[in-house]
Amino acid sequence: MKEETKVIYEKPIPLKNTYNAPYWDAADRHELNVQKCNTCSNYNHPPGPSCANCGSIDVFWENLGSTITGEVYTYIVSNRPFLPGFQNELPTVIAVVQLEEYPDIKIIGNVLHGNTETVSIGTKVKMVWIEATEERAIPQWVMV
Amino acid sequence: MEKIREKYAIVGVGESNRSKNSGVTPLELALEAARAALADAGLEAKDIDGFMSYSEMDSCNPHQVATYLGVRPKVVKEMFGGGSSTELLIAEAIGLIETGQANTVLIFRSMNGRSGVRMGGGGFSIDALQNGFDGGSFIIPYGAGSPGQWFGLFATRHMHLNGLTQEHLGHVCTSFYEHAQRNPKAFFYGKPLTMEEYMSTAHLSSPFTKHDYCLESDEANAIIVTSTERAKDCKSVPVKILGMAAREVVSHAHYWKNIDEVAADYVAPRLYENAGVSPEDIKVASIYDCFSWVVLRQLEAYGLVPKGEVGDFVSAGNLRMDGKLPTNTAGGMLSEGYTHGMNNVLEIVRQVRREYEGTERQVKDTELAICTGWTGPDVAGAMILCK
Ligand SMILES: [Zn+2]
Repeated sequence: MKEETKVIYEKPIPLKNTYNAPYWDAADRHELNVQKCNTCSNYNHPPGPSCANCGSIDVFWENLGSTITGEVYTYIVSNRPFLPGFQNELPTVIAVVQLEEYPDIKIIGNVLHGNTETVSIGTKVKMVWIEATEERAIPQWVMV
Repeated sequence: MEKIREKYAIVGVGESNRSKNSGVTPLELALEAARAALADAGLEAKDIDGFMSYSEMDSCNPHQVATYLGVRPKVVKEMFGGGSSTELLIAEAIGLIETGQANTVLIFRSMNGRSGVRMGGGGFSIDALQNGFDGGSFIIPYGAGSPGQWFGLFATRHMHLNGLTQEHLGHVCTSFYEHAQRNPKAFFYGKPLTMEEYMSTAHLSSPFTKHDYCLESDEANAIIVTSTERAKDCKSVPVKILGMAAREVVSHAHYWKNIDEVAADYVAPRLYENAGVSPEDIKVASIYDCFSWVVLRQLEAYGLVPKGEVGDFVSAGNLRMDGKLPTNTAGGMLSEGYTHGMNNVLEIVRQVRREYEGTERQVKDTELAICTGWTGPDVAGAMILCK
């Protein structure tokens, strides 16, 4: 029997729950799904049981596809791993990314291979998906 | 709130020993702080009919403290979470006294914050972080597991938009460390910090170096609140509560959605309206300082410095003893000790009382004092005190 390459992913994998499952299920398919309010038209990210902007329960999911671009709204460069799996990827850039086509949406992630020299507020990035397991994929950001 | 102006006062403050490893339970620390506050006020334990505290599964409860002081109080109350909980519980105490449900209330915070459950990260399980936070699954998989990282996201953008630099953060740290050199009980007593040393310290997580983080200590603090009328029976100088805004919450509390607003922005107008004073009148401050940047952001939020001038203000040495607004004069949580905000309350009470008169630790003008609490960018509270 031929041995297959195993991908070892040591970092925390997002836990799905009632509110976030549509987001993470879409991520597993390499798509971005975001909750939106039918009443006030605001996007709700993170998602919840009702709209965090106006309280309406008339919320739905909008699929934004697989071509997602944005720019760094704010970020930090972490030199210390506070969670498992990050010790081999220091420094870790954690960024809040504002989507180019939907500026109402801000999504946190790592700017992969970024550092103090290459990442700043306004840095252009695009979403990529990292395969964590056979079933799960994690949205991340790379510089464009 | 206007009708209770100066009607209530803090009449006792006390603390336990402060250390890296207390060797005792949080209950024993709390009892030590409570006894010290009672002695300070000249009250006996039986005079207290309300006991309250806040914690994060790292402490004892107020029922136990009342029990082991030998008291059968009317009210015990505990709440989860800190930062601005001292202000909130003081407001609750006032409400209870105002409505005749209690006469004199003791509020404490006790924690083995260094040897026990540490706030600084690493102390919580990953599942607890993901499930416990609203939206936790959107931050924890990206390595953002520490308050320093969350607040850093706010800090980076705010500093960028307002021309604030690493050196401005450094002025907060060096000013507070300088205060700690006058306080033999401070953790960093005997360990001054120069700007040169600060600037050459690496980031743990940008824009924060280890100096920008609050320290972690084992200790308990306690304060006693009663009516100004009843305060006449106490031996201490009462410090009156001129006004407070106990707690405000930003509408969407997730850590990165509304990064340009913080709850303190909403506390400030209500605070000054309730107290009937202006920010310009404030002469001395205790500003919640879990991180250096949090101080800069609150100076702006509370109108203590005009927006856009905060950097120049701290660079000119205005947080120091001879500055325009001596702040965290015991060293703050950056260099004195950490009880989730309460040690800063103890210090401002002592300054307003003029307990340090005749020493270099006494601030010259203490007529009006501000004390702020910051649970996070999403939750804040504050009060204005006078003699
Ligand atoms: Zn809505």
